[in-house]
Amino acid sequence: MNGLRPPRIELRSVVRTYAAGGADEVRALQGIDLTFAPGEFVSVEGPSGCGKTTLLNLLGLLDAPTSGELTWDGRPVGDRPERVRARLRLEGVGFIFQRFYLLPTLTAAENVELPMRARRLPRADRRARADALLAEVGLAGRARAYPHQLSGGEEQRVAVARALGNRPGLLLADEPTGELDTANSRAILDLLERVRAARDATLLVVTHNPEVAARAGRHLEMRDGRVVRDVAEA
Amino acid sequence: MRGPFRPRPLRHARLQAVLAIAAMAAAVSLPVVLVSVGGGVEDHELTAIENSGYQIVVSAGGEHGIEHSHALAATIDRVTGVAEASPVLSIAIDAFPSGGSASPVLAEGVIPDAFSATLGPTESDLFPNPLPLGDPSDTVHFANGSYAGPATDDVLVSSPYAASAHLTVGATLDLGPTASQSQASPYTITGIFGVPKTILGPVGAFALVLPLSDLQVMCGYASGNGTVVPDASDTIQVAVSGAISVDPAKLSAVESAIQSQVPYYQVTSLTQEAAQLEAADSVLTGFYLALSSVGLVVGLLFLALVLLRRIEADRRSIGIRRALGLSRGSIAMSVVVDGLVLAAAGAVAGLLGGYAVVAALAADATGTVQEAASLAVFDPRLLGGIVAAVLVLSIVASLVAARSALRIEVAEALR
Repeated sequence: MNGLRPPRIELRSVVRTYAAGGADEVRALQGIDLTFAPGEFVSVEGPSGCGKTTLLNLLGLLDAPTSGELTWDGRPVGDRPERVRARLRLEGVGFIFQRFYLLPTLTAAENVELPMRARRLPRADRRARADALLAEVGLAGRARAYPHQLSGGEEQRVAVARALGNRPGLLLADEPTGELDTANSRAILDLLERVRAARDATLLVVTHNPEVAARAGRHLEMRDGRVVRDVAEA
Repeated sequence: MRGPFRPRPLRHARLQAVLAIAAMAAAVSLPVVLVSVGGGVEDHELTAIENSGYQIVVSAGGEHGIEHSHALAATIDRVTGVAEASPVLSIAIDAFPSGGSASPVLAEGVIPDAFSATLGPTESDLFPNPLPLGDPSDTVHFANGSYAGPATDDVLVSSPYAASAHLTVGATLDLGPTASQSQASPYTITGIFGVPKTILGPVGAFALVLPLSDLQVMCGYASGNGTVVPDASDTIQVAVSGAISVDPAKLSAVESAIQSQVPYYQVTSLTQEAAQLEAADSVLTGFYLALSSVGLVVGLLFLALVLLRRIEADRRSIGIRRALGLSRGSIAMSVVVDGLVLAAAGAVAGLLGGYAVVAALAADATGTVQEAASLAVFDPRLLGGIVAAVLVLSIVASLVAARSALRIEVAEALR
């Protein structure tokens, strides 16, 4: 069972406002227009609070635009009901978080299997796929370890394996190396690049780290809820 | 949770689970105890009625309200279909065993042969047959109401009392209407009878059986001495002939015939008594269940609170699952399953706990409580119904908690 093929993603005049109309209204995104082609590796940079995570949440269908349109291959997805967005998220999106967010009560293999279980993949298939993914991220012998028994680098590699479980077309990483040392950061980025290239997946990485950003083929810079720079390398 | 190390929050989750299970167990064990004991006592009483050797009871309001019992029993004996009419006078008197201390006992005054004829199959095994009370028809002493004939002064003693007061057949026992031995007269113990299992406790089983006329004279219920109720008895127990006892229409006809003879007394069949008893017991069962529902509500509230607390502690995990694409339905289902597992564990613990409480009461309690507990009946259907109700209500409580889980904003939970 494969995930959705990498979609062409478009945002048109996307606005995301929190506490709209209230005294503490926050306009996190203020009219974003962007297009992402399948297979792109995009870095998103900018100071804290500029809207990077909000953009990532919208692209990953964790959140919905207040106004504007978000489409996958021309089909509006941003305003779909949560049930539909959850299905698209399950089949089409892989999330990698700065703090890994592994479930502490599950082993590494069970964490990797979790999205596959949600897709009702047969037990033997998901076992085999989880083992293969853990081997791919260099954790073949750690399948039965619990998150608290893993190092930070190992936890993030499990998180990457989990994100790849349903073979998504869109990989979203929020500061994936933020809590890792240099060697582990490099290993994770190598892994993400390898996966992106092998599967023609779209990879968006939110980062403050210039070294991480330098590996991307396209660079977005955000300030105050707007994209102020969008540069693609030749 | 598996693995060699248990993070602290998970230990707390385990503690919460244990508390929720304990609350549900307490909520289930209460109705288990009440309903099983109440049901057992009801069954026992109904069995006693069904096994009774008489089928119709003549009674009057007030204490010892039937007058001219000997004559009335003879009149009822002549009603077609009646096999035997047995007047019974029950009254507490005092007994003074030689060398022992005085104690109150329940005395039953009977006409020996009539009494024997109205004993049920279970009771008849408990008494000597015929009753060794000297004057089988209680006519010699009664002498048509003159009480001028010689009294037998025989008495039968219940086995618990005989054992307690070290009484044997042939011994003398002074009996009197009050605690003053100066008013007591000597009786000869001519037999010992067993007692059926009752809920009166061991003291209630301190009983005597003696000729009706002897007891009437002893307590002033005889004619010719100015008493208000001459030749008194509490009831006249009527045994019917042959197959009439199992034919409701014929039994009702006999009942009507007796009623026409004694329009001023109440005539009831044991079938009616059983129905009245069942109606009263169903009211009591309803009361037990209403009482139990208070405990159940508390248990379910506790379960819901524990689930809410777990959800609050698992906000991030829920957010992660949602971010990975797990549906709201699967999140809600996991909360409901969580609640069901806790409730089921609590229900099982409650069933076992309730059973253990009843067994402990039957083994170690005293008096009426011990007797009632020993009669407990664990009806699988009723207990299954209680468990099913608990599980259904726990689903409702879990859904309330699940609603809270579904309100968690994913993006916020992951911050």
